[in-house]
Amino acid sequence: MNRALTVARLQFVAWPFVVGWPWGILALSFFINLALFASIGDIDPAPVTGGLASIYIVMLVASTQTIMQDFPFTIGLGVSRRSFYLGNLLQFTTQAIGYAAVLYLLAVVEEATGGWGIDLTFFGLPFLLVDNPVLRYLAFAIPFLLLGFLGIAIALVFKRWGVNGILTLTTATIVGFGGLGVLATWRGWWPAIGGWFADQPGGALLVGYPALLALPLAAASYLIIRRATP
Amino acid sequence: MSPVISVTDLTKRYRGGVTALDRVSFSLTENRIYGLLGRNGAGKTTLMQILTAQNFATSGEVRVFGEHPYENERVLARTSFIKESQTYPPVRVHHVLRAASLIHPGWDEEFAQQLVDDFRLPSRRNVRKLSRGMLSALGIIIGLASRAPLTFFDEPYLGLDAVARQIFYDRLLADYTEHPRTIVLSTHLIDEVSELIEHVLLIDAGRLLLDADAETLRGQVLTVSGPVASVDEFARTGTELHRVRLGGTARATVRGDFGPADHDRARTLGLALEASSLQDTVVRLTTATNGAAPAITGATSKEAHR
Amino acid sequence: MEDGRPIFLQIAELLENSILDGTLAEEEQVPSTNELAAFHRINPATAAKGVNKLVDDGTLYKKRGIGMFVSSGARAKLRGRRRDDFARQYVQPLLTEARKLGIDPTELKHMIDTWEQAR
Repeated sequence: MNRALTVARLQFVAWPFVVGWPWGILALSFFINLALFASIGDIDPAPVTGGLASIYIVMLVASTQTIMQDFPFTIGLGVSRRSFYLGNLLQFTTQAIGYAAVLYLLAVVEEATGGWGIDLTFFGLPFLLVDNPVLRYLAFAIPFLLLGFLGIAIALVFKRWGVNGILTLTTATIVGFGGLGVLATWRGWWPAIGGWFADQPGGALLVGYPALLALPLAAASYLIIRRATP
Repeated sequence: MSPVISVTDLTKRYRGGVTALDRVSFSLTENRIYGLLGRNGAGKTTLMQILTAQNFATSGEVRVFGEHPYENERVLARTSFIKESQTYPPVRVHHVLRAASLIHPGWDEEFAQQLVDDFRLPSRRNVRKLSRGMLSALGIIIGLASRAPLTFFDEPYLGLDAVARQIFYDRLLADYTEHPRTIVLSTHLIDEVSELIEHVLLIDAGRLLLDADAETLRGQVLTVSGPVASVDEFARTGTELHRVRLGGTARATVRGDFGPADHDRARTLGLALEASSLQDTVVRLTTATNGAAPAITGATSKEAHR
Repeated sequence: MEDGRPIFLQIAELLENSILDGTLAEEEQVPSTNELAAFHRINPATAAKGVNKLVDDGTLYKKRGIGMFVSSGARAKLRGRRRDDFARQYVQPLLTEARKLGIDPTELKHMIDTWEQAR
């Protein structure tokens, strides 16, 4: 466990790179939106930008990079795969907790300032129960974890099985989802599926199901990394 | 003394049927400098990767500090493996050194800084912008300053000029003297390291050809030249590794347990005698087993790989 | 170091030469193993082996906790041994070469005298 902590610390050695990228991109996205909507003026209904997604995308990319670059480096320095994996889990969880807290605060500020004075919804999540602060916080945090673990899992497939692994994975995904889509169309399930999504509370879509997905991803990643070579 | 490394019947076959290591067995004693020699693709890197649990054996037994290295922090924390192909995350040099210092319990920061100065490494520069030689220097600094009880250097100096290599040898020797540890040095530049290493492991085509004390080896391989009949007679006392012939004159490289009496005998036979350097010995041994140098070849045949 | 011959023998010989030509006086301290290793850029174990060879044959002796010293009488002993080696190392090849050229021993002695006078 000590070594895992070391690995987590090691990830923050170059913290300007680690923290700088996601927040830099998010800030850029925010100011562009701010400038854009300020110049357009009143829009009805009030705009929801979706720019918030940028920081999550960066996290996905960052977690992929971690495996591609830090795995050969850290394992090369003399760390077990288990410690490397746990250290990264720790690192991503720490980032998720911290970043979600900042986003939560920004969302609160956004509400208090009437959408930065121009009724802009950048940090606020559109379909979430605002009255439950825990759920609201988790809705920021859990998707970070899901995307982080997804990035780790994809990169590990590449590390262990190379391009062929990625191609197989992509094919399987396309065939799987495509097949389900065809099946749903054929059997006329789409209205039911749409209804099911509409019936789900926002909390379930942003917290419950991502958490359910993140766990098996994390477990699968661990199994893959056990036999991966740098 | 219990060995730092013991390897028994280690075999590694890659998918596609390439046998990188073929029933290799040896053991390494604590606090010595070993030379791991062999041609490109001989299996040296694979061996070191397996010993550091970065790769997996197909069969055979590996013990490092008496334990299996796989997922074993007790072993890995005492090991440092510097390889030519090492990649680094795209951060600054001092970030990389800081990361290495966190991983290695024996890290000496002062020594690391001194080495950074010695190699004139720009510590604020991003590793992506380092030249090949600077990347090699970075690896060498990590390997030396980590002071790991077991340190592997796998061709650590691609792109380093002769001056920088000499700095490496000097610092390695000085630091090893003060902080004895087991060092495995894998290299092509045999002449440059032949006096640093205490023991030689020679791998060729996945097999261990030689596991010998460097000093014992020195003088075991002689090159004699003179009349064919005399060369023939001398060659009978050992194993002939190589021969070239020009008319009635021959030159043969012979391996045997030679002493001063054998030197005298060669002189009495009217033969010119030359002891082979470690490099020559390695070249002869690796070409002889490949069948590339049959016992008698014409004088026009190039002496391979010189 | 020259190639080929065991390095520890060469180290031992270098020290012997220093004793023979007086660079290292009797009862004087000899450079440490580590100093020898760093100077000649060789493995410390090899340097130690060379020094130990001289300890074993009595040329050097060890003062505990201080280091190695040249024994009294080492110089005379070394000279005696080197004289014995001289015949094997120099005279024998000289005779072999002379025979090849058809120089008989009398002629050879004469040549030596002539060269000695010309010095």
